[in-house]
Amino acid sequence: MVSAKVTVINPMGLHMRPAQLFIKEVTPFGCDVTIRFNGKDINGKSIMNLMAACIKQGSEIEIQCSGENEQECLKAAVALVEAGLGE
Amino acid sequence: MLHGVGASRGIGIGKIVCIKEQSLDYSHVVSQGSEQEKKRLQEAVETFCEVTQKMADDIRERVGQKESEILSGQVMMLNDPFMLGQMQDMIHSGSCAEAALDSVCQMYIEMFSNVEDELMKQRATDIRDIRTRMLRLLLGVETVKISEVPKGTILAARDLTPSMTVGLKPENVSAILTEIGGKTSHSAILARALSIPAVLGIPGLLEQVQDEQTAVVDGEKGEVILSPDADTLYRYTKQQEEQLRQKATLSVYRDKPTVDADGTAYQLYANIGSVMEAQSALENGAEGIGLFRTEFLFMDRPAMPTEEEQYEAYRAVSHVMQGKEVIIRTLDVGGDKEIPYLKMKTEQNPFLGWRAIRYCLEETELFCIQLRALLRAGAEHRNIKIMLPMVTGVEEIRRTKELISQCKQELKERGVAYEDQIEVGVMIETPAAALTADLLAKEAAFFSIGTNDLTQYTMAVDRGNAKVENLYKTMHPAVLRSIRSVIHAAREAGIPVGMCGEAAADPALIPLLLSFGLNELSVNSASILRTRKIVSLWKHEEAEQVEQAAMALDTAQEVEAYMASVRRA
Repeated sequence: MVSAKVTVINPMGLHMRPAQLFIKEVTPFGCDVTIRFNGKDINGKSIMNLMAACIKQGSEIEIQCSGENEQECLKAAVALVEAGLGE
Repeated sequence: MLHGVGASRGIGIGKIVCIKEQSLDYSHVVSQGSEQEKKRLQEAVETFCEVTQKMADDIRERVGQKESEILSGQVMMLNDPFMLGQMQDMIHSGSCAEAALDSVCQMYIEMFSNVEDELMKQRATDIRDIRTRMLRLLLGVETVKISEVPKGTILAARDLTPSMTVGLKPENVSAILTEIGGKTSHSAILARALSIPAVLGIPGLLEQVQDEQTAVVDGEKGEVILSPDADTLYRYTKQQEEQLRQKATLSVYRDKPTVDADGTAYQLYANIGSVMEAQSALENGAEGIGLFRTEFLFMDRPAMPTEEEQYEAYRAVSHVMQGKEVIIRTLDVGGDKEIPYLKMKTEQNPFLGWRAIRYCLEETELFCIQLRALLRAGAEHRNIKIMLPMVTGVEEIRRTKELISQCKQELKERGVAYEDQIEVGVMIETPAAALTADLLAKEAAFFSIGTNDLTQYTMAVDRGNAKVENLYKTMHPAVLRSIRSVIHAAREAGIPVGMCGEAAADPALIPLLLSFGLNELSVNSASILRTRKIVSLWKHEEAEQVEQAAMALDTAQEVEAYMASVRRA
């Protein structure tokens, strides 16, 4: 398992559109993706769980990737969040 | 023959399509074993996603990016592996597909409803929609999709709410019939905006009509003829052709500027009450939007529209009308319209009560949400102007400007773009405003005369009261004098003055409005071309003569008779 901390910079946080992008980005790699936020573990491939977590602008999250291609997946995920998740 | 309120003029001929509410009761469904139920669920999910994605693609251009994204978001949500897993677990425990779908959806609806984040709360509505439509698929309940009715359809429903008509294609709908409603209900306003004949308030409508039944609808008279014989059909077809012919002769005015016979230019704008109508306004030759009523965003829903939602709606109209002005009126409701979450109590005199700008200046949190949405929406095309309803004094304008400054600061801190130079104008619709127009002109960037309410308040008449409605006359000397002095005050102060009340579309009144010095007329889309034509027929000198004669008369009846006698076209 590999992980990294990153800050969400989107003005409206991790709402539907950026969450969709995140999931589209990480799913092809095939590994498990977990987002640790506020002491809770959130399924990184579940849009319902991501949205329900209400991750706002400025929140620090820890992205955990576990399984095949975990390194590449983490790299891509971090890059996407740092770039603002398409916004 | 059926009778109702003629809410939108014109002849409509076509085949009836009934819009019925269907029950989603699944208590009779028994699980056919987990493998079978999982299969049923999977098939329904696939159908749902296919249909919904198609809808999303279809409405992206026609209705808006935002509505389209809501639908593609639903596809994404239903494909959530975690949520599907939860449904499958329930099926393994013995539930049928319907029960599994329902329980899991209800859980998420509950969860999202209790979240603090405004945006996230909206997701509860999306999941409700998913639940409804998935249950329909699983139960095999046929629903008519209004967006997919064939050409020549006459819609027959109990009522048509804004959410039902989101995807409506005007070119396919020949007429609209409803059981409830009248001249001012949503269906009426929509029908008029789209120039679709409509007869509303037909008691027992759905029991009296059948799918596929041919009918003739006369939106002027409020009559519906079912299964007409050949002669009747022929007669009405001829009438319809004549009306279309007249419409075609007006179409030459579509791309022409609005000028009188001397070549003086005027702005001819449209009044709209929904995002969808903006396109129609443009197609009818509107040079801008003189009144964008924002109440539709607040009605027919359990909670406040979010800043994001409002922003999307204002931005969509701003985009469709880019290069042209869009005057957006802030929330103009009172206790008479049932909007429970606004906490307006029943009042003895709702039209003289806590409503419109008075309400907004007290409920500043709500007002600021709207103001921020407007500020943001104006950033891209810079064509949005704010208009305040029911103003009675300069302090209301000043206070609003203070709030706007505050909102700008908030947006700056959030790092969000906004229109810094947004202009604030007012509706002149109260006697107080009309009598002190010169004072208001110092603070307002523009005026728009709301003749509907101005006439009511000036004549002390409740237009909805059948006993006294005959006293409601815009051509009463009192109202005409008010209108004239408002226009003069605006011109003195050098600010633009328009009119967005119904009177602006009255062909008989046009020479007076031109002579008074009105800069802008804002009318419903269907009246734009006719208005442009009439304006073009008047020379300034001729209009002045009409003004002199009309303003010397003593009574509304005399003025009406005179104006009718000199009317052109």
